Amino acid sequence: MIKKIVLFTLFLFNVQVNAQNQISIQYEYAHNLMKTRQYFDAITEFKRTLFFDIDKQYSYSANYSIGECYKAGAMLDNAIQYFSIAQYNARTDDEKISAQLEIIKTNILRRTTERAHQILNEIEKISSINKDSVNYWRGWAFIFNDEWKEAANSFAKINPNHELKKLAEQVDMDKVSVTFAKVISYILPGSGQIYSGSILPGLISLGWNLLSGYWTVSAFNESRVFDGSVLLGLIWLRFYRGNIQNAGDFAVQKNNEISNKALRYLQHEYKGNRP
Amino acid sequence: MSLLNNYFSNHFLNSINFYQTKVLAIILFLLPFSTILFSQTMNIDENYFSPKNRLAFGNFLFIQEDYLRAIEEYKNYLMYIDNDTVRFKYAESFYRIGKYNEAADNFKSIFYGSLLSDEAKLAFYKASFFNGSYNSFRDICKMEGYQSEKYAKDINRLFLISHLMDESILPDTNHFLKAFPDSTKNKVRELYMMKKFPSKKNPTTAMLLSMFIPGAGKIYTGEISDGITALLTTGVLAYLAANNFKHEHNFRGWLFAGLAVFSYAGTVYGSYASAQIYNAGVRLNFDNEVKLYFEKRNYLLPKINFLKTND
Repeated sequence: MIKKIVLFTLFLFNVQVNAQNQISIQYEYAHNLMKTRQYFDAITEFKRTLFFDIDKQYSYSANYSIGECYKAGAMLDNAIQYFSIAQYNARTDDEKISAQLEIIKTNILRRTTERAHQILNEIEKISSINKDSVNYWRGWAFIFNDEWKEAANSFAKINPNHELKKLAEQVDMDKVSVTFAKVISYILPGSGQIYSGSILPGLISLGWNLLSGYWTVSAFNESRVFDGSVLLGLIWLRFYRGNIQNAGDFAVQKNNEISNKALRYLQHEYKGNRP
Repeated sequence: MSLLNNYFSNHFLNSINFYQTKVLAIILFLLPFSTILFSQTMNIDENYFSPKNRLAFGNFLFIQEDYLRAIEEYKNYLMYIDNDTVRFKYAESFYRIGKYNEAADNFKSIFYGSLLSDEAKLAFYKASFFNGSYNSFRDICKMEGYQSEKYAKDINRLFLISHLMDESILPDTNHFLKAFPDSTKNKVRELYMMKKFPSKKNPTTAMLLSMFIPGAGKIYTGEISDGITALLTTGVLAYLAANNFKHEHNFRGWLFAGLAVFSYAGTVYGSYASAQIYNAGVRLNFDNEVKLYFEKRNYLLPKINFLKTND
């Protein structure tokens, strides 16, 4: 009887080992395609792995890799979908955290930073999580939301001399105040543009306001009340209000330029971890 | 053999004799072949790229709506085994990713000698309909040999709907409406009338109106506030020009005169453009309404049920 049981066990074990070999070969094949950046084919083969993986041995790693492939192909919605499936299939806390971090990073890239913050707040409560990692990705989420001061604060929690803290602080300092640009333009037309670094448009705006103001005042001085009113309403006020609007636009544009320059640096030259 | 015997006898098979060991050795020798035997018995094909597995995986992808990958699997399956259902799904996958030409070509391959011939013909017309050129679609509808008795009414309805989608001449009202079920007749009649008698504005009329009264053309095209603004601006600028000339402020007079002429010309041209924009808007709204109405009802076409299954 023992002999029969042993033989049958060996028989089943042999079948099982063969099946496992096949699925692991398939997984390796998919993985190699991913390593050689053939993402479309890699996704197909990972999906094939999942389809034939009856024991659900690769439910985590294949879904995670599919997410990575979609992310590399900038299909961020699909990437998040597969990282979420991977998270659901995670067998250890590390696997779960790893999938969650990928979801956070993809949300940052997708600029759905609010969702990234939400997940970061959730995983921060897990005791085994590396707090530096949470602060690091929170900083990135702030960067992608154009909140450089908050980003600097987050990086400072990791290290007061953190490279990204210094960069975020610098960007925050370089940026101009949109409100200030508008307010000074109320007082002296064109000054908001000059404050934002656009000297010529500022001087032109000042010139138009002086000219239309002169016409308006001289019409009233000559008792041409209708002329004066029309000039005031149609010309001068338009230039004056346009100048304020313009000052705000120039300040926003200047800030965008500063942010984009920093983002370009982060994209091309920064050596650390990026989303 | 003796080593093998020793191994087993040392551990847990002490009681077996030489004869039994011989049997055991034969079984162990045959063990690697057991995988094949077992696979066949349990209906598991370990080659994931076999036609059978490709079909199973393709169907899985099709249901997951990953049509691009399903196409590859079906294509490889069809290289080995000809199957009408798979051909249909292969063509349908092209249709679902918007490759209507490829879809139509592949549906054609099931036109004759297949149980799915009628469904393929219906799907072929559907793919041709969405291909972009309704003229070509109507030409195809008139071709002999492609007709399907089973779906003749549905295809004819699609043919009639195509007249609402482009600038072609509409068929006779009664003939048009007869093809549609009673539940849709009222709305289809409304769309038919909207197409036949569109509420368009004449650009030349709009332009001439603005030449006589600045801004009147814009009011005619429904841009009432723009029209009033144009009238006031042109009027005030003209008045300012005249007033400045009267008071011998010639520079300002010419400046306002120039602005008045500029405003007048802009209003005249703007009225013409406004009528064109209005007409484009009418056409766009009508197209959207037709599309939304029929899309919601799957163009009144029957659903093909076997596509939902794994078969």
